[in-house]
Amino acid sequence: MAEKVSSSSKAVFALAGVLFLAASGAILGWFRQPRELRLDPPLSANLDRIKLMPNGISGSPPESYFAIGKPYESDAWNLSQGKRLYAWFGCGSCHGDGRGGVGPSFLDGWWLYGPEMVSIVASIRDGRPHGMPAFRDRMTSEQIWQLAGYVQTIGSYKPKVAAPSRNDDRQTRPAENRGPAKILFDEGPAGVHPDQGPTP
Amino acid sequence: MTQDGDGLRDSSMEGSELHRRLTAIWSTPSGLWGALSTVDHKIIGRRYVTTAFVFLALGGVLSLLIRLQLAQPEARFIGPDRYNQIFTMHGTNMMFLFAVPVMQAMAIYLVPLMVGTRNIAFPRLNAFSYWVYLAGGLLLWIAFAVDTGPDVGWFAYVPLAGPEYGAGKRADIWAQMITFTEVSALAVAVEIVVTVFKQRAPGMSLDRIPLFVWSMLVTSFLVIMAMPAIMVASSSLILDRLVGTHFFNPAEGGDVLLWQHLFWFFGHPEVYIIFLPAVGMVSTIVATFTRRPVFGYLGMVMALIATGVLAFGLWVHHMFVAGLPRLGESFFTASSMAIAVPAGLQIFCWLATMWAGRPVFKTPFLFVIGFMVIFVIGGLTGVMVASVPFDTQVHDTYFVVAHFHYVLVGGAVFPLLGAVYYWFPKFTGRMMSETLGRWIFGLIFTGFNLTFFPMHILGLQGMPRRIYTYQPEMPWSGLNLFISLSAVILALGFLLFFVDAIRSARSGSLAPANPWGARTLEWATSSPPPPYNFARLPVVDRLDPLSDDIEAVPVASGLRVDRRELLTSSVVHASPEAREASPGDSIWPLWAALASTLMLIWSIFSPWAVVWGSIPLAITLIGWFWPKGVPEDEA
Ligand code: HEC
Ligand code: HEM
Ligand SMILES: [Cu+2]
Repeated sequence: MAEKVSSSSKAVFALAGVLFLAASGAILGWFRQPRELRLDPPLSANLDRIKLMPNGISGSPPESYFAIGKPYESDAWNLSQGKRLYAWFGCGSCHGDGRGGVGPSFLDGWWLYGPEMVSIVASIRDGRPHGMPAFRDRMTSEQIWQLAGYVQTIGSYKPKVAAPSRNDDRQTRPAENRGPAKILFDEGPAGVHPDQGPTP
Repeated sequence: MTQDGDGLRDSSMEGSELHRRLTAIWSTPSGLWGALSTVDHKIIGRRYVTTAFVFLALGGVLSLLIRLQLAQPEARFIGPDRYNQIFTMHGTNMMFLFAVPVMQAMAIYLVPLMVGTRNIAFPRLNAFSYWVYLAGGLLLWIAFAVDTGPDVGWFAYVPLAGPEYGAGKRADIWAQMITFTEVSALAVAVEIVVTVFKQRAPGMSLDRIPLFVWSMLVTSFLVIMAMPAIMVASSSLILDRLVGTHFFNPAEGGDVLLWQHLFWFFGHPEVYIIFLPAVGMVSTIVATFTRRPVFGYLGMVMALIATGVLAFGLWVHHMFVAGLPRLGESFFTASSMAIAVPAGLQIFCWLATMWAGRPVFKTPFLFVIGFMVIFVIGGLTGVMVASVPFDTQVHDTYFVVAHFHYVLVGGAVFPLLGAVYYWFPKFTGRMMSETLGRWIFGLIFTGFNLTFFPMHILGLQGMPRRIYTYQPEMPWSGLNLFISLSAVILALGFLLFFVDAIRSARSGSLAPANPWGARTLEWATSSPPPPYNFARLPVVDRLDPLSDDIEAVPVASGLRVDRRELLTSSVVHASPEAREASPGDSIWPLWAALASTLMLIWSIFSPWAVVWGSIPLAITLIGWFWPKGVPEDEA
């Protein structure tokens, strides 16, 4: 720029510039959202090592899950992959668009086995006694986690920023980023299938 | 018009006294605040040009990364996901952040000088448009830096860019960047139209307007008519993605082809928005360096207007393989070929001018010759792809990449570089180096052809575009390596250009007012011009108002010197109509741009941003337009 700038304001400019660069560098590093198209095999093997409570509800995720920054609940790419897997593996044939069918609803506000990621992963991987098939041998651990993140998203009361939007299909309910669980919450006392859920 | 007698007039004032008073009233105060609130079209124009060239350099670096990855089959320099972002960023950046803005930027600086006025119309809107443009550019590049850069191609076709397949905010960043750049482009277009229609120097009737100004006028109308289509499209895309509307969802009665129509209804005129200003630059340079007016002024103007009108009847040629009715395809083939007529007419007019004149082969003129060669080749392949059977073969192959770089780089970047060499003295008061200039031209011309010509062959051999790698079994490796090496020559040329520009801006030899012996009004004032452009507004009595003695230009007097004042004139004959105040510096355009930025970025995440974000925007606009009781507020 050719306008005249006095030397003191030049120094201010320079200082501001350096600060700005440093700050933006830090912010950029913090916000970076790399897309892992394929997880490192050791990491993805480790994802399998969830520790569950004896009743199969709740527990703690494996170390590697924290190491990679818990991407499956909050990362748009993984959530959208989850959504795709939900269709490809026919989850909808029992769980409908998330509002249930033969299987329980995910967005009525009731989780039979709790809303934690590990519980959902366990439901998908190992199946559940009252009719939920195990998918352990049909998909990779990474896919199971992606799917679990998506299923959790369907049921979250506060729409996640990264939640997927509508598909190019007929619409049966608001898309996940509109917070369907908030709109379609069911007061209870219990879901449509009193027979399902953990046996005490 | 104010009554006679009020205010201090310039009529009986002497040169030095006039200079002192005009400087006091028009100059931009030094310091940060002055820089942020200035509305001087020259300062803003320089800023715009500089920023656009920074984006050119950044986009160039991306293209080198692309070429690095494609130099070998199955290369592993860049992964597919990053590659998608890189080539989308390259296209988007070059089209929306470089090519269109840089042309408008040149006009912001030059048009007011060429029509002999003191500032652009709506100078605060001009300041606003720059800040919005800068914010849009930063949005795109910061997003890219955090791995959230758009990855859907520069034309963001649905359903790929739609809610189902475009995960995350990447496509939203693209769509919102469009909003930023189109708001700024529309603002500048309006300013230019009004400047050209209402602020021409007395006597500059329609048939005395310089060709560059004509080309910018036509371009501005194209912007005003084409940009709304893309803003509708990108806003609908954001709505589809954020709130689940169904504009592009066929299952609910939407239409994916609607996207393509809206995009290309803008996208085709877009290439003329880039090309027509370049045509104006070429005409100006040709006239100066052949020492005679351009042959067939009327024909040139008519060709500009015809191109502008035809530009809106071609968009479907980008959709030949989308499955359209036969009749439609034939119609758009015919119209696409028809546009070669005005383009050819202009080429022949320039050739005739050179033929009849005494060409001086200085750097700007060399770039013009480079333009002619390259653009004609690009035009020929353009006529080829206008034919449906041929396009069906080469669509989405490197043939098309070769074609559009021939027209974009040949048709716009070459004239632009020539224009930079030509007007650099006016922008900075210093000359660029003639020796380096010749080297730069040689490197860029050779590098360009070596890089892009082989792409025609690759395309005919079937290499698809937009791929991040290819298999070693394909017969493409040799040429790809050759292209990547040639790109280094091209990059070297550009590097040298930047070096020369920066060096000359600091220590080039000082330029006189009219170093090239040109005949248009911007050379009637010092280099660089004083803040008020002209001490007394020139009066025009012929097409080329400058003679060798620039003091001999007749001038008008009677303007006030105690406030920013300029003359408005009638549209056709440019007879003076009124003395008009021109707004002074203001910081509010910056605040308004920041408020718009807040609202637009927020609205990627929540639709409520439009409601809550409009409150700060309204406040800044009220501040902007609140009467401040300064002399400029008087009628
Ligand atoms: C054959 C029908 C069927 C299919 C297919 C099916 N589920 Fe289920 N699912 C069930 C039933 C029934 C239950 C309840 C089991 C119980 O209560 O023991 C259930 C339970 C669950 C639960 C636990 C819900 C809670 O409230 O805690 C999750 C999570 C789940 N399924 C996810 C999936 C996913 C993901 C898929 C697709 C890969 C899938 N299901 C496919 C029938 C099915
Ligand atoms: C200066 C040297 C340049 C080089 C080496 C270069 C190279 C490339 C390459 C390799 C591609 C990728 C093609 C593909 O895979 O489809 C590309 C795409 C593109 N380039 Fe350039 N380019 C340059 C300058 C420009 C300029 C100046 C413009 C515009 C004014 C431009 C506009 C585009 C566009 C619009 C695309 C299409 C991107 C897409 O398909 O989404 N390029 N360029
Ligand atoms: Cu076109």
